[in-house]
Amino acid sequence: MKKLNETQLQELEQDLNSIRDEVLADLGERDAKYIRRIIRLHRTLEIGGRVMMPFGFIPPVFVAATASLGIAKILENMEIGHNVMHGQYDWMNDPNLHSQTYEWDTVCTADSWRRTHNYEHHTYTNVIGKDRDYGYAVLRLSDEDEWKPWHSLQFINYILLSVLFQWGVGLHELESEKLRRREIRWRDKLPFLKDFARKGGRQAFKDYVFFPLLTLPVAPIVLAGNIGANLIRNLWSSTVIFCGHFTQDAETFSEAECEGESKGHWYLRQLTGSSNFTGGRWLHILSGHLSYQIEHHVFPDLPAHRYPEISGKVQAVCRKHGIPYNSGSFGKQYGTVLNRIFRYSLPDRVRTRLEGESAPQAI
Amino acid sequence: MLARVIQSNAMHWLGRQLSNQDNPASWLDPLMTRINPMWVQAYTPARVERVMQETADTLTFVLRPARRWTGFRAGQHVNICTEIDGVRRNRTFSLSSSPLLWEAQGLVTLTIKRLPGGLVTNWLHDQVEPGQIIGLGEAFGEFLIPEPAQPILFIAGGSGITPVVSQLETMAAQDYPAPVTLLYFVRTHRDVIAGEKLRALASRHSTLTVQVIATNESEEPRFLRGEDLDQIADLKSREVYLCGPKGLMDLAGELLHQRGVTDDRIHSTFFAPPAPAQLEGSELGGQVTFAKSDVQVGSEGDANLLEIAEAAGLKPQYGCRMGICHQCSCRKTSGTVINRLTGQVSGASEENVQLCISVPRGPVSVDV
Repeated sequence: MKKLNETQLQELEQDLNSIRDEVLADLGERDAKYIRRIIRLHRTLEIGGRVMMPFGFIPPVFVAATASLGIAKILENMEIGHNVMHGQYDWMNDPNLHSQTYEWDTVCTADSWRRTHNYEHHTYTNVIGKDRDYGYAVLRLSDEDEWKPWHSLQFINYILLSVLFQWGVGLHELESEKLRRREIRWRDKLPFLKDFARKGGRQAFKDYVFFPLLTLPVAPIVLAGNIGANLIRNLWSSTVIFCGHFTQDAETFSEAECEGESKGHWYLRQLTGSSNFTGGRWLHILSGHLSYQIEHHVFPDLPAHRYPEISGKVQAVCRKHGIPYNSGSFGKQYGTVLNRIFRYSLPDRVRTRLEGESAPQAI
Repeated sequence: MLARVIQSNAMHWLGRQLSNQDNPASWLDPLMTRINPMWVQAYTPARVERVMQETADTLTFVLRPARRWTGFRAGQHVNICTEIDGVRRNRTFSLSSSPLLWEAQGLVTLTIKRLPGGLVTNWLHDQVEPGQIIGLGEAFGEFLIPEPAQPILFIAGGSGITPVVSQLETMAAQDYPAPVTLLYFVRTHRDVIAGEKLRALASRHSTLTVQVIATNESEEPRFLRGEDLDQIADLKSREVYLCGPKGLMDLAGELLHQRGVTDDRIHSTFFAPPAPAQLEGSELGGQVTFAKSDVQVGSEGDANLLEIAEAAGLKPQYGCRMGICHQCSCRKTSGTVINRLTGQVSGASEENVQLCISVPRGPVSVDV
């Protein structure tokens, strides 16, 4: 990681704080209008998808219905749920948009998400051993994790994780790796499992029981469409999230270097541990503006649609302090993610030899 | 309508499964605000029908709430919510019309004085026009006409007259069978709210006596005096209703006590942010644990739990910030707090507290 001394870190902190303060002072009707417009779009797409789905025996209608419901779920999870739960809209004082009471349309309970994502991941970003989002305990993505033979099949794990992403995220707090290592007992996880079963049951009931049964004669079509919509959301959100921290140049950190860190050091870690991807306006909206992962990690509770507006200022701060700003096209960034998953599935000996051969391109 | 349907248990359960919201009826609200804002379910929408000038700084808003609103009793108040520059603002106002108007025509009125520097009252005065929608909560409050009828003395000051107007109109319509006296204090006679209505009521009903007293028209301020009370024949047998600025309420309380009127006969309601009770600074403050957020902070002096939470970077829900609307109510699991309004000391056990008026005394733990 780029090293800055305490004075430089303090300056970095002040520079970023002033960007944040400027946005905070300007929050108002424009932001309220934006999120309400997205919510209206979500409601329209969800209702549209649900209404069209029973007519899915007509192939183009099936595609439209599935896409409509899938995009609705993406918008709700990424641009609405994730961002609302970060407290980005708490200042609106709207009980339906409050970070601590919002519940979203996915298997993971909002409470579990607030603990594992808002607290663990955003505090200990990319600290190996503390940020359990780094590889989700099923992938090896850094050489600080020791290679084991089963890692060689981790590409299969990756595909499974992406396909079943909402269930994986829902079970994240189970800490299966710690159960496996017998550091914690199943008994400790009972309250969590109860909540997981309730929310997972609710989501499965809605998409796989209630709506198919409601339209009984065409139940298989509705069931298939709903599975398709969930799959679209799973693949997309998994891909976006992987592009945020697992790209080629996104850095990782050790527990030791983060002990008792200052706010400035935390900022530095967020800047260097995250990566952006570029694209059109709708790509950003559908990613919940996690395409601006760097801005999001520096300012997780500023309304996400503001990230494009402050990106230039954040880049200027990075340039000023000589900190790399990791950005590239969606395709390029995702390519480096796949590359990373593949490379770290190999034993270190093989990997370093491969990297040695391609060293000129590597960095 | 939708809210009523969804109140049935099975439908409410199903609604929660499908919408992931505790209030499933409001899932469609974002669309309803565009299609027909009167169909919004999160609050009761009320359309502004007319706006009438009462005095130079006071307006009466005639509202038509959606029919699902459950009505009110004379003297009660209501929370209204509006959105100003993207922020939902809740405030409490007394209903100034009689429930009879709601029953007959589906209308209610709020009479609102412009407060210098007040965000919501100024917005209401400057921005609200007929046709606009304001959110209403259900009516609440215990400032109610006695049943069975008793002789009454009202002491009102300034815009504190609003719940009293509602009560007088209601009593007049019922031919209230006991004597009623109103002492109404205003700065100058130009500041009289609902003057014509009061005069008309007094002239039609011999049992009603209205006395308007201007405090600031003479050289010496003319406040409530002992003689004002002594002239009331059967003072001790009257139920006394107080609504006005704190100075008037305190003075009235003192004079009434001197004349042997007991506390159980005195009813009062706040109409403006009540001044904080005098609190002993030395014993206030303490370690506050916000259990749900896993945050612990120390506090000093008379900072309330809401301010302490916000200073610690938390954003609990809040409304009026003056102890009226209960939007910020939450569970205190341990510790002692002092009610900023009354100076009352809480028990140390688990109970609901309003964050905005609770000042910690020693270590306190709340579910925030």
